[in-house]
Amino acid sequence: MADVSLRDVKKQFGALSVIKGVDLDVKDGEFCVFVGPSGCGKSTLLRMIAGLEDITSGALSIGGKDMTSVGPSERGVAMVFQSYALYPHMTVAENIGFGLKMTGHSKAMIAERTAAAAKLLQLEPLLQRKPGQLSGGQRQRVAIGRAIVRNPQVFLFDEPLSNLDAALRVQMRTELSKLHQDLKATMIYVTHDQVEAMTMADKIVVLSAGKIEQVGSPLELYHRPNNLFVAGFIGSPKMNFLTVNVTAGEGGKAVVSLPGATVVLDAGATTIAGGEMTFGLRPEHVDAKGKGDAQIQATVKLAEYLGSETLFFVTLADGSEMAVKADGLASQRPGDTITLGINAKACHLFNTDGTAVINGDLTR
Amino acid sequence: MFPTPIQKASPFVQAGYKLLLPLALFLWLLPLIGVAVTSVRPAGDLAAGNYFGIPSGFAGVENYTAVFRDSPIGLYILNSFKVTIPTVIGAVALSCLTGFALAVYKFKGNLILFFMFVAGNFIPFQILMVPVRDLTLKLGLYDTTMGLVLFHVAFQTGFCTLFMRNFIKGLPFALIESARVEGVSEWRIFRYIVLPLMRPAIAALSVLIFTFVWNDYFWATVLVQGQHAMPVTAGLNSLNGQWVAAWHLVSAGSIVAALPPVAMFFLMQRHFIAGLTLGATKG
Ligand SMILES: Nc1ncnc2c1ncn2[C@@H]1O[C@H](COP(=O)(O)OP(=O)(O)OP(=O)(O)O)[C@@H](O)[C@H]1O
Ligand SMILES: [Mg+2]
Repeated sequence: MADVSLRDVKKQFGALSVIKGVDLDVKDGEFCVFVGPSGCGKSTLLRMIAGLEDITSGALSIGGKDMTSVGPSERGVAMVFQSYALYPHMTVAENIGFGLKMTGHSKAMIAERTAAAAKLLQLEPLLQRKPGQLSGGQRQRVAIGRAIVRNPQVFLFDEPLSNLDAALRVQMRTELSKLHQDLKATMIYVTHDQVEAMTMADKIVVLSAGKIEQVGSPLELYHRPNNLFVAGFIGSPKMNFLTVNVTAGEGGKAVVSLPGATVVLDAGATTIAGGEMTFGLRPEHVDAKGKGDAQIQATVKLAEYLGSETLFFVTLADGSEMAVKADGLASQRPGDTITLGINAKACHLFNTDGTAVINGDLTR
Repeated sequence: MFPTPIQKASPFVQAGYKLLLPLALFLWLLPLIGVAVTSVRPAGDLAAGNYFGIPSGFAGVENYTAVFRDSPIGLYILNSFKVTIPTVIGAVALSCLTGFALAVYKFKGNLILFFMFVAGNFIPFQILMVPVRDLTLKLGLYDTTMGLVLFHVAFQTGFCTLFMRNFIKGLPFALIESARVEGVSEWRIFRYIVLPLMRPAIAALSVLIFTFVWNDYFWATVLVQGQHAMPVTAGLNSLNGQWVAAWHLVSAGSIVAALPPVAMFFLMQRHFIAGLTLGATKG
């Protein structure tokens, strides 16, 4: 078991800079998730930790030992590939035991560990099959089994669930979380599915274009995004953004003029410069019944009735658009007018450069 | 679906297909049929000028026994094996290694090295005739099966490397990476992961090189003179009389000589399995 730390790690593919300086500490036993849009460098960063890509500059240490230029075989990490990468000519049992066999462990020990892994992952009836005779979910479990028999210090996962169907993904998600609790190993997990990130992570690292945007627990990122990117990336449906005019009020208040209403936010110790800013409010924090500190009139443009909830896409007085998550009984139809209530405690305010000035954290 | 299954084509096309296919097959096999028929012709037919007509009688038994009685064809075939088998093993084994190195490792000049292997195939071997003969003479390998083996291995490795390198490139690279992360040494990755997956390629290439080297006539005549090292392709010539061409015997000898590559093909057939990497990645 070990912690992983990266110090100003950079990666360059020729002239292309893919990882632009990453500082990160993953604590021993932590479940850390890398999220970010496609092509932001999640896989590259993970492969750098595994040793499959050279580190152009910076330092990496695992369990306190410098691993910056150590080969992948000596890092004591296990990786589950996006494509599983099972050895097609070996049975499940051989696949699981291969690494141990090749590194000179005794037959008895390999058999014992393989049996334990198979039991944990419910692979016992499949041990004599070849990967070609397994379903996607079973292959995925074999890939995990191959990783756990080696008792690695650190597990690395690259989008292991991305090719499974929705039901299986939910099941594997809980199984992986359980595995983490059982093994208590450090795990680094790459995904671009934010539900996976929110449900599994102790710590989420949001990456964008090769840089860390924010590191924090799932709820921290949800309630207190540092910037527009994180605010827009975490949460589904996306946070609503409106360009608004802000003036500084008395006693640390920010007065935000929304289309057709004014809402006063508590800025706390932050000084508000005023002027044009970006106002952010999550769809689930808009009240479709009009309750709140301020009311706005809007017209329903589109409605999705999901049963448990209803999603309204509405147009405000100035033509800007917003998504609103209402309960499943809301009955407005497209074309209807709707009164939206805004809770001042849930509102976010961002500078023109995208950094957050006010985070409406409902947990406080 | 493309092409359209023949069962679904128009009756006209179906009839044409049924007529043309056997015809094309017959035309394709005509030379072979010619040789087969000649090999059972009595000697008199050829003297009488009956080269392509119906044989006047069946002389198969006489002709084939004559081949074994009148020429050391057994020795020739043995020589052919002594040349072909080491060549196949040498060229395929070498190219597995070169192919692996060129496909898996990134190093400076990788591509240039690869192109050099490929470029070797474009040298017409006729222009090598004199220098290679000189070289084998100087090395004391002239007129030995060893000389032929070495030359064939050197000359076939280029093509084999092209074949193997591209085959290994087609394997999922994640298999190699995943083994590396598991702490497996490079040699063991080659031995236990890449090599087993190369089985179809090895089988295909073995048959190809076997046939190629077995059928070689050019180098057999350039690098060998005496009976003791003569492969069967060159040796067949001795079945001709000093003054008259004994085509019926040469044909019978050719048929005998052609059997090993055919046997090799059927022997290797079960290894030509497609889809060996099935299940390596998520389907
Ligand atoms: N070997 C390479 N050579 C050059 N560029 C590369 C190489 N590998 C990756 N890249 C580039 O690096 C960037 C990051 O790639 P990476 O695979 O890490 O993205 P990702 O965040 O994992 O994306 P996804 O979510 O789609 O898997 C991409 O722009 C990609 O084009
Ligand atoms: Mg990726």
